[in-house]
Amino acid sequence: MTREEVFERLNKVFREVFDDEDIVVGEETTAKDIEDWDSFEHINLVVAVEDEFSFKIPMGKVVTMKNVGEMADIILELGK
Amino acid sequence: MTVTSFGFLGLLAAGVAIYYCAPKKIQWIVLLGLSMVFYYYAAEPFTIIFLIISTATAYITTNLMPCASERIRKHISGIAVMGILINAVLWFALKGSSFWLAGARALQRLIPDLNIPVEGTLVSALGMGYYTAQVVGYILDCYRGVSIPQRNPIKLFLFVCFFPQLTVGPISKYSQLQSLYEGHRFSYSNLCFGSQRILWGFFKKLVISDRVGIIISAIWADAGTYTGFWPWCAVLLYPLQIYTDFSGCMDIVLGAAELFDIKLPENFHNPFTSRSVQEFWQRWHITLGIWAKDYVYYPVLKSKVLVSLGRWTKKHFGKRGAKLIPWAVGMGILWFVMGFWHGSMRHILGLSAWYWIILVLGELFAPVLKKLIQFLKVNTECYSWKLFQRIRTYVIFAFGTVFFAAPGFHAALERYKILYTSLKNLNPWIFFDGSILNLGVSWMDVNLVIIGTYLLVKVAYLRVHYGYARIWIQKQILPFRWLLWIVLFLLVLIYGLYGAGYDASQFIYQGF
Repeated sequence: MTREEVFERLNKVFREVFDDEDIVVGEETTAKDIEDWDSFEHINLVVAVEDEFSFKIPMGKVVTMKNVGEMADIILELGK
Repeated sequence: MTVTSFGFLGLLAAGVAIYYCAPKKIQWIVLLGLSMVFYYYAAEPFTIIFLIISTATAYITTNLMPCASERIRKHISGIAVMGILINAVLWFALKGSSFWLAGARALQRLIPDLNIPVEGTLVSALGMGYYTAQVVGYILDCYRGVSIPQRNPIKLFLFVCFFPQLTVGPISKYSQLQSLYEGHRFSYSNLCFGSQRILWGFFKKLVISDRVGIIISAIWADAGTYTGFWPWCAVLLYPLQIYTDFSGCMDIVLGAAELFDIKLPENFHNPFTSRSVQEFWQRWHITLGIWAKDYVYYPVLKSKVLVSLGRWTKKHFGKRGAKLIPWAVGMGILWFVMGFWHGSMRHILGLSAWYWIILVLGELFAPVLKKLIQFLKVNTECYSWKLFQRIRTYVIFAFGTVFFAAPGFHAALERYKILYTSLKNLNPWIFFDGSILNLGVSWMDVNLVIIGTYLLVKVAYLRVHYGYARIWIQKQILPFRWLLWIVLFLLVLIYGLYGAGYDASQFIYQGF
């Protein structure tokens, strides 16, 4: 799985979770860039990412990830 | 010894001198020594044993994690749970005594022949609620791989007992306090910033909070006489009292740590600028909120039960239901834990339940309100609308604090009743005829509270634009800077309300 593929699938997940077809996420995208991304939606997002990529993200990663780039790093690491 | 006592200031002065004279490698030992001296004078010395037990459990459990053999590795979660349970049980036995004493009273009523002790409180360790939360967070961080376990038990003990934060927090994460173990070189700017912050904390506590406290106490002490607008004044002034008390203490604590070049996490970020209750709780007692979010809210939301509930509600109630119902359940558990941490049923039933209901109602009616605002073409970005939202948030917070300020649950309900009945007897002239002077304060006191409140607003404004008011002050010309600090110092010295032995009264949040 390439980084580009991960971002493509992440865009799909973000659009589904935030109900917004115009969302395009990048390496530096954070919760500040998406209006509804609060602590509740953060977990919703993590669960949706887990469903999309079929693995569990440990809580240690959930609480420390700073932006979507880090989320992609975690996905690539866990998906090896 | 409280953090507003002369003893504490003396300890700080001596501590700073010894700390910067000591070689960098052993500076953390100086901090440990200072913490022990502070504990000896601030609490029952023998209760240090509870801090030692907490440290020992955290040390043993976390150090078992990385070196665990394959056979033990699968039991790592059990090891973490064990460490957390020991600390939680210890906290519950001592700090949560009001819960089990209530249970004992109920049992006594059922079986009158039993002669079990049902009154009183137990001696507990200083700041037990704060350091227990830190230890639990540390164990979980190590379990989650966020922190590396500390191999030196004495260094870990310093994380638990670092003296400025033992009184009222903040609840720091282990990763935030690594500078405890690093050597620091003396810096004039740290000395200035730390002292200035301590002075500002003294001003908030001794000049504003304690004066407002006199007015509020006098009103509630004679609620039969002070009717009409008086109880409303008491309720609406309480946020000012508790904010200047709690955040004033935090300023002293953070300033004291800054003297040693240690940055503790902030607990307040202009809470009264919040435009919603949700935003307010992200700006008030921030470290408790983050603790509850990271170690309670997130795991609950990500649990199988809540994820399944989310899927079920999405199927039956659509996307909105899928958000609202699991969110309300998660928030309910979060608020229950926060109320429980405060250590009494009135905090759970009153304080937590009140804010939880407000938050749920806000979320439930958010779409309706949004449509109404659009229909009425309200400009939501104009100053007056933002001001309205801020006042609304303040009033909602003030009403919730009745449970916090009253001596018990029934007393709080009684106060709500007084608020309601007092509406039948409105007396607007009390604001103009000098009646306030009957409450044990003079015009000078009233003026000092008004000036103090103005300064609070000014500092909040500077914080928004400059990060900290001190940064703005630092940019001013020398005579202005010195004049400002000297005036503040004199105000504290002359108008600070000192208690017995010239020590300030206790802090409201010190009991946790």
